[in-house]
Amino acid sequence: MTVVAVLVFVAAYVLIATEWVHRLLAVLGGAAILLALGVTDAEHAFYSHDTGIDWDVIFLLLGMMIIVGVLRRTGVFEYIAIWAAKRAKGSPLRVMVLLTVITAVASAFLDNVTTVLLVAPVTLLVCERLDVNPVPFLLAEVFASNIGGASTLIGDPPNIIIASRSGLSFNDFLLNMAPIIVIVMVVFILILPRLFKGSFEVDPTRVERVLGLNEREAIEDRGLLLKCAAVLLLVFAGFTTHTITHIEPSVIALLGAGLLVLLSRLEPRDYMPSVEWQTLLFFAGLFVMVGALVKTGVIERLASWAADATGGAALPAAMLILVVSAVLSAVIDNIPYVATMSPLVETMTTQIPDQTQAEALWWALALGADLGGNATAIGASANVVVLGIAMRAGSPISFWEFTRKGLVVTAVTIAVVAPYLWLRYFVLA
Amino acid sequence: MAEEFPVVSADAEALEAARLLATQRLPGLIVTDERGKPCAILPASQVVKFLVPGYVQDDPSLARVVDETLADRVADKLTGTTVRKLLPERPPELPVVKADDTMLEVAALMARLRSPLVAVVDGDRIVGAIAASRLLELAMQPH
Repeated sequence: MTVVAVLVFVAAYVLIATEWVHRLLAVLGGAAILLALGVTDAEHAFYSHDTGIDWDVIFLLLGMMIIVGVLRRTGVFEYIAIWAAKRAKGSPLRVMVLLTVITAVASAFLDNVTTVLLVAPVTLLVCERLDVNPVPFLLAEVFASNIGGASTLIGDPPNIIIASRSGLSFNDFLLNMAPIIVIVMVVFILILPRLFKGSFEVDPTRVERVLGLNEREAIEDRGLLLKCAAVLLLVFAGFTTHTITHIEPSVIALLGAGLLVLLSRLEPRDYMPSVEWQTLLFFAGLFVMVGALVKTGVIERLASWAADATGGAALPAAMLILVVSAVLSAVIDNIPYVATMSPLVETMTTQIPDQTQAEALWWALALGADLGGNATAIGASANVVVLGIAMRAGSPISFWEFTRKGLVVTAVTIAVVAPYLWLRYFVLA
Repeated sequence: MAEEFPVVSADAEALEAARLLATQRLPGLIVTDERGKPCAILPASQVVKFLVPGYVQDDPSLARVVDETLADRVADKLTGTTVRKLLPERPPELPVVKADDTMLEVAALMARLRSPLVAVVDGDRIVGAIAASRLLELAMQPH
């Protein structure tokens, strides 16, 4: 059974990485084979937290997708982005900096693909008005989106998986991930002029065309905006008080989504298109496959090898996880990677007596996987989306054009977070 | 049932095609290839879509924040462009019927392909076209 579980898992991974078949088909096919051959069963696949579908992850994503479906109808994102571009007074560098900051902040609370889908059209509008190449702006935004998403529990799907597996709360993510992500963003902004050298020339006569945009027109329904703001505040209050209320983030997100749907009086056809059913099913299939590895003892053996390789010491383990995660997340989707690694890291943490140092392994996994997604055009879903947007806009970005910049961003950001992990969890702990 | 209808080549100027649609208030144009065979129908709505910037198609709320009118874009977008560029990347099935096809056959084809216009051919030769409005006119005539 162990050999079958590994073979099916590896085959599905190859199919996902090479995109020979749709990734949903790969994981559901793999899960179906494992169920059909009895490697796992309904009890383990559907009802076990350790070896089955993590319903907390699925329903947290579902709730947030519905909330975003309503939120994006308010036009608030467009308002903020255009307002910022006007405050930049037409300076392309300032526009880029402000849009990347907005993207990073939004990504902390919305999923990265949604954020990119919201910011890209405004960016194309501003770039067209300034008559500058939109490619550097789109690249900077997708990098910022992947960086910003790392800062909270809900910002990036890998973080949701890690939180559910580790028991780390929304506040834990805020206190441990957000500070370093702020530092990473500052460094990222500092390297922007060098990274996109020669992209900031603008004809002064074009500036007026940006100042002529009317951001107030983006918001059509102020009532809906206020309702969204109120519900979002409640949802984030729910996330941050989890340690007191013990209400799971998935329940809070679902309650928030339900309340927002009731208050907004929107029809399901208005917000349901934001629910990515394929992504949710992909998660479900993935959890069944990873669960089979846990059930058959593969993960435990891998964790034992990893512990031997690092001599059971927490610091080498954390650094190994950080670097391996960054490298692997660059070439494979970080969602299946983290889903696979989470039970392995969970086992590794049980072998480390110091609680703080054990937690460092989770932060290393989150930072490596989230930031590693920037390295190549296929490292994160948001990257693929931006490539599609750029292509439609008549400014295609090649795989290598993306990767040349992405590798630099990943190398710099990982170089920033490695000393953070060492200092915060090992030297100053 | 078929009427005479303007035909444009796929390599013709897009601006000229748009002018033809506008001045004659046509629902679309029959587009022919280099051998004069019909290769596509260009609905007027497709030309309108071409004039709308991609970012507004992706995020319609941006149409409200821009101060310019569509008129400002027509010359910019269509000058130097060919009709071929206006056609969808993957053109749908060509809506053609034969002169002796019934009204129901024509209506069924229009409905299936959501085309405001079908070309009427005799072999490779275009003998006319039927617009949706013409079809409705005939359908509503007292028998």
